[in-house]
Amino acid sequence: MDATGWLWALLAIPVLGAGLSLGLRSPRAVLGLLGLGVLATAGAALVSALGVFRDGPWLAAGGWFHLDALSAYHLLVMTVVYLLSSFYAWGYFELEIREGRFPLPLARRFGALWWGAQAAMTLTLISNNLGIMWVGIEATTLMTAFLICIHVTPASLEAMWKYLLICSVGVAFAFLGTLLVAASSRGIPLPSADVLLWTTLRDAAPRLDPTLLKAGFLFLLVGYGTKAGLAPMHSWLPDAHSQAPAPVSAIFSGFLLNAALYCLMRYVPVLEGGAGLGGWCQRYLLLLGGVSILVAAVFILFQYDLKRLLAYSSVEHLGIIVLGLGLGGAGVFAALFHTLNHSVCKSLAFFSAGRLGQIYGTQDMSRMARVLRGSPLWGLGVVVGLLALIGVAPFSIFLSELLLMKAAVDARAYGVLAVFLAGSCIAFVGALRHIIGMAWGGEAPRASAPKERVLDAAIVVGALACLLVLGLWMPDGFREILTRAARVAGGGRP
Amino acid sequence: MDWIHVVLVALVLSNLLALGSSRIGVCIRVVALQGWLLGALTMLVHAEHLTVRLGLLAVANVVVKGAVIPWLLGRAVREAEVRREVEPFVGYTLSLLFGLSALVGFRWLGSRLEVAGPEASRFALPVAFFTIYVGSFLIITRRKAVSQVIGYLVMENGIGVVGVALVGGVTMLVELGMLLDVFVAVFVMGIAICHINREFDHIDADRLNLLKG
Repeated sequence: MDATGWLWALLAIPVLGAGLSLGLRSPRAVLGLLGLGVLATAGAALVSALGVFRDGPWLAAGGWFHLDALSAYHLLVMTVVYLLSSFYAWGYFELEIREGRFPLPLARRFGALWWGAQAAMTLTLISNNLGIMWVGIEATTLMTAFLICIHVTPASLEAMWKYLLICSVGVAFAFLGTLLVAASSRGIPLPSADVLLWTTLRDAAPRLDPTLLKAGFLFLLVGYGTKAGLAPMHSWLPDAHSQAPAPVSAIFSGFLLNAALYCLMRYVPVLEGGAGLGGWCQRYLLLLGGVSILVAAVFILFQYDLKRLLAYSSVEHLGIIVLGLGLGGAGVFAALFHTLNHSVCKSLAFFSAGRLGQIYGTQDMSRMARVLRGSPLWGLGVVVGLLALIGVAPFSIFLSELLLMKAAVDARAYGVLAVFLAGSCIAFVGALRHIIGMAWGGEAPRASAPKERVLDAAIVVGALACLLVLGLWMPDGFREILTRAARVAGGGRP
Repeated sequence: MDWIHVVLVALVLSNLLALGSSRIGVCIRVVALQGWLLGALTMLVHAEHLTVRLGLLAVANVVVKGAVIPWLLGRAVREAEVRREVEPFVGYTLSLLFGLSALVGFRWLGSRLEVAGPEASRFALPVAFFTIYVGSFLIITRRKAVSQVIGYLVMENGIGVVGVALVGGVTMLVELGMLLDVFVAVFVMGIAICHINREFDHIDADRLNLLKG
């Protein structure tokens, strides 16, 4: 198959999976299809990404599809998150199936929306047209809204409504920004079919109208920033993440936020190339990143609900990625590295939090005592996952944060460094208190630990091993991938 | 007489009507009317070089935003048995005052903004931003979930005017994708409102306050 074929396959498999899910006859079959299909998409994604890293960017389907180092890297991150979550969903819903809380209609809806969300995110990543990219992001909101309230409760409905409304309105602002960027090309005669093609805009950047470009970027920042959960537009995020079932929370934190951030990354090179705009958009990225880190850190300090703690931690880490993007150069490299680290680690943490929630019947951290006794596997996942998230060495999040600090020092951005350190320290102290409490405080639960499945153990060990290995040693191939992706997102700076 | 200006004035008036009306039925009809106006604007701005593509797009806009979506909203309102917006956070008179002052502000901004574009854009841009403003205002100040959806639609219409006035149409596929997304969004919101109504026995978004911190 050629490039066009593989990219179409990437889109077609999830769409097909969504259709098939609606026709299956048992909840277990729906979950089985999830596992089978995710292997197929992973294969296609791997082939496409390897192709891109071997032959350079793919431009296919008459210029509508475009896969370069940046999108291929994000495609790989998405694949990792989906692989982990789909197999985790087997174990997570097994308990609910046995208790009769996951009947067939629910399972079918879950399967179809799960696949639909994957299709929408893939569309976002592979489309060259910035308008279609927007359509993909808006579609992810619509697909994932009902995933939050698969189990209808007042709290989950409330979370779903906030998510649906805030993100729809936010993303509408992003469309306004997209239109303004399109309008900035009025001065140069571009055929209307090319007006929103990223490759065209990037090449024509110096001739675009800078005023409209700036106005457009501000709307894009607010719009996609809302969907990426950046403070102060993050108010939907803790509710949605805490109310969704754990596999869905993992998708939300692990990739949905990054997909929105990816859209912003696409605009940075266009803005950087704009006449007299070098370094202009970075200021706003730094501002938003810094605010997100500080706001999230303060909320982490006062959290008692485990999943809400993880949600605020997502705000913090997305802020860190934006901060890296704003620093430019080596900062972009660190930001992209951090993207993978955060996605893997946060998925693991949500997996563990979800299963511990099932075992303890609560998300309240003060009532989840001695998690290592309650469930050795998931207790380990949540304790080590949280430790890695707050930046404990030798896990890879520590390394990417170190790289970021180095980039800040090299760029003489000491204010940025101070904000980052302050936020990280507050979050560190706030989360460490809970980790110690959950691991060693209180009474051990009386109920015996449930038997762990081999697959679940593989997920936890695999994710932890990935974090540990990347923290100690970065393979040359991976460094090359990151360098190339950073070059795309950095907007031509060496 | 310039028909573009007639359409733009009608848009402004429809926005003021939405700001000043407590009856949700009226607001739904305002949104429907705006769908028609948007379709008309698309045709009028491109009157000289009208293509089949643009015509189809205008018709699709009118059908989806002017007929299907208002029908969906009407169903949701009947289901939830909500007729009026009760005690919004900002009263109707004050809302109108806010709206009028914003209109003056955007007009002034528009006169200062030098944007290369079709002749229509000098007046269309302030009207478009006014519409977006009114939409956001409705979302923020109204209590009923249905009113927030109406606000979202008014906002989308405003963005549609920006598209027509400033860009003169992006690719067909993008516009259709956008239209589809808005349609599905309202559809999903409608289902959500029915769920909320069943679970809570009301659709007051400000009373959805279980989750905090």
